[in-house]
Amino acid sequence: MRLLGFLTRRGFQSIFVLFGLSILIFVIARVLPGDPARAALGARAPQWVVDRLREDMHLDEPLVAQYGYWLGDALQGDLGISLVTRRDVTDDIRDFLPASLELVMFAGLITAVGGIGLGILSARNKDKWVDNFIRIFSYMGVVTPSFVAAILLLLLFGLVLDWFPTIGRLSEGVPRPTTITGFYTIDSLLAGQFATAWDALKHLILPAVALALGSLSQEARITRSTMSDNLSKDYIAAGRALGVPERLVTGRFLLKASLIPTVSIFGLDFAATLSNAFLVELIFVWPGISRYGLNAMLRKDVNAISAVILILGITFILVNILVDLGVGALDPRIRLRAARSD
Amino acid sequence: MKRLLPILLGIALLAAACTPTPAVEEPPPEEPGAPEEPAAPEEPAAPEEPVPLRITFAWPTFIDPAVGNDFSSSHAMTNLYDSLVFPTADGTMDPWLAESWEVSDDGLTYTFRLRDGVKFHDGSDLEASDVVYSYNRFQDIGEGFAYVVSGAEVSAPDDRTVEFQLSAQSGLFIPSLVRLYVVNEDLVRANTLAEGPYGAEGDYGKEWLLTNDAGSGPYQVVEFPLEEYLLMDKFEGWWNAAAFNPNAPDQVRFIATTETVTVRSLMDDGELEITDQWQTIEALEALDAMDGVSSMAFPTMNSFYYMMNNRKAPLDDVNCRRAVSYAFDYDQAVALEWPGTKQMVGPVPATLGGHNPDVTVYKRDLDKAREELALCQYGDDIADYPIEVVWIAEVPAEEKWALLFQANMADIGIPVEVVSNPWLSVVENTSSQETSPHIVTIYVTASLPEAGAMLQDRYHSSTAATWQQNEWLLDEDLDARIEDALATVDQEQRFAKYAELQAELADQAVSLFLYDQLQKHAVADYVDWRPEANSPVQGYQIYAPFIGVSPP
Repeated sequence: MRLLGFLTRRGFQSIFVLFGLSILIFVIARVLPGDPARAALGARAPQWVVDRLREDMHLDEPLVAQYGYWLGDALQGDLGISLVTRRDVTDDIRDFLPASLELVMFAGLITAVGGIGLGILSARNKDKWVDNFIRIFSYMGVVTPSFVAAILLLLLFGLVLDWFPTIGRLSEGVPRPTTITGFYTIDSLLAGQFATAWDALKHLILPAVALALGSLSQEARITRSTMSDNLSKDYIAAGRALGVPERLVTGRFLLKASLIPTVSIFGLDFAATLSNAFLVELIFVWPGISRYGLNAMLRKDVNAISAVILILGITFILVNILVDLGVGALDPRIRLRAARSD
Repeated sequence: MKRLLPILLGIALLAAACTPTPAVEEPPPEEPGAPEEPAAPEEPAAPEEPVPLRITFAWPTFIDPAVGNDFSSSHAMTNLYDSLVFPTADGTMDPWLAESWEVSDDGLTYTFRLRDGVKFHDGSDLEASDVVYSYNRFQDIGEGFAYVVSGAEVSAPDDRTVEFQLSAQSGLFIPSLVRLYVVNEDLVRANTLAEGPYGAEGDYGKEWLLTNDAGSGPYQVVEFPLEEYLLMDKFEGWWNAAAFNPNAPDQVRFIATTETVTVRSLMDDGELEITDQWQTIEALEALDAMDGVSSMAFPTMNSFYYMMNNRKAPLDDVNCRRAVSYAFDYDQAVALEWPGTKQMVGPVPATLGGHNPDVTVYKRDLDKAREELALCQYGDDIADYPIEVVWIAEVPAEEKWALLFQANMADIGIPVEVVSNPWLSVVENTSSQETSPHIVTIYVTASLPEAGAMLQDRYHSSTAATWQQNEWLLDEDLDARIEDALATVDQEQRFAKYAELQAELADQAVSLFLYDQLQKHAVADYVDWRPEANSPVQGYQIYAPFIGVSPP
């Protein structure tokens, strides 16, 4: 019941956030230089064709009226026509968003497992060579932009070692699975196409690692640091003095309490990865929403720009809610504080 | 069970990894009761892998002939569709879907006789009504290359005859027909949405044609996941199948990337035959150094201009423009490009029909530059008239020419301010005389393979408020002479008129004519591709039926 109340409150707040965001993105998309209709049709298109498109998209009307049309349509699920793909933006989102989500979720999995794993290993071997190695690796991971990591991984594992495919979501000649979730790995497993699932997984690895490297390193550093701090706390000493097995001390008492900042940062990183993936998607020819958004920006595709930012905004809101729930699940004090503030 | 699940999943994936990927479907089981075939003495030959031609391209690609007009779209459309005529390397037009045509004495009626036996990809016959529908659809939509083919009423007196009634004579009418790609009317109508911006024609099949084709060309669309690739299969029923290179590819794949590292990796892995034309010189040199890969370059209908605003001081004085033209170091500018690049000779690319090689060609000569500057009304106070040079921010390579220009002009005392602007800002700024800069640096492609098309696009008043003409000539006499040249049906007379115009524009130094651009690619050595033998019209260089691919 308390959870339901929390979700209702956050959902209500989100409406205002999204409304504010919609105004912001609408204005940003339209203050970019250039006429979107002319940009889409090319400099040599006759003026009457440009005028017709401007009329169709209400670009010939005042900004407030344009916003009214856009909001009214968006509330009905119509995000307009993309000037880059020349079809409904909702169709584009339907096609491109799952590709990005599959990539980002896989990257998130690598981040969570790798980051927390390395953090624990580092904390348990504090100031030993393992710890030093992981710390150096983490520093390098944090300072390496994902596109640089993508290029290095592509050159090493795609070009020199030839272990992984370099572009796209599937190899040439591999049939696409029937779309259920839009995640090729899951859809092909559901269809019993194990070879296709494996091929899709191989295509995911390099871009996902490139995307995960920065946040993985960050998670490892935060986990290590928090665990190291908590190691000196009384309750850990008490647990050990009482003869609680070390695995239980580390796994249940120490790790759980140490994961709170890690989970918070993980949530933010996850949502940021979705918006920052465009260079990695470009390098690996990944047909994702981030690359679509970049193309939209470059061509002043106003409807697509608005839709992509809206999707990213919704993702941030959802992830934040999940992070709050996760942190509450990890630390009862936070739950109690939240309950009292109600 | 929870612990077992990942293990089982891992085993399943491992097992799947050992299984070959199913690229070919298994044959259906035999029908019960079917007579048994006698045992074959030998193992049946495995089906041959289709030979691919893979090319990287900049996304997006539009394959609807009424929408696309950029580099990748043009190449896709020429491979998917046929036109009435076909451009050749020498600038003439070969009969294509039209086996012959006649022109009325007044030069206003063109009657085309269509070839028999042309089939669309769905097996239906191509008829005159399809040509009429394609033209009307093109004009109603008005996008893509519609601006090239216009000003006619089209009718189909019978299934094999198409008649174009022009409102005015045009010397460019036949060449313009290379952009009229014929679509299958029945197929498009069957896939037209009732709701759309074209009245009774609904959406004119635009949504469907975004990822499907309705053509009769040498290749047909198999798969087109947007942002990823366009996959086309060889169309065995092509009416001109005899023209296929004996080693023509079975499949053509346009891969939607131009990223240098990705392209290099694909080439190294043998997953790419031809790179896109956007690779930098450094990237092409690196590709050229790879085993089994060579770089190549060939002339195009593109030229690189410094568009001088002829209505903004000090460039509104012809002597100042000539001073600038003589002060610029063309040899050094050309040396910054791919080897073999040549300085422009006059105001149009040398590949165009009717190009005049006997015009004033400016070379760096500081004495002449100073002489001209002395004659210029701003000569004494030239330091008070800084020139703003705008280069396109999306093309970083342009900066080096801008800096060269700045250094060259310093030699005669002209201050230069180098600025980069995003393309859309350039488009917006050049749309008004007040906001047009002194100079904007732009590559321009001729829409048709004749000098007149470029002269019209670059210097006719109709383009003055667009990025195509920062010169702002607004010269009614010049307009009339360009229009007269374009309306001249006789080619010899037309070319003579083009030649006069080019000489005059060069003499007036209306622009700085830098160089004719070469199109550059890296190509796998097992590809037999001779783009010089094709027309320079955009889209006809990578014409897959004429390319041979013999992978090792």
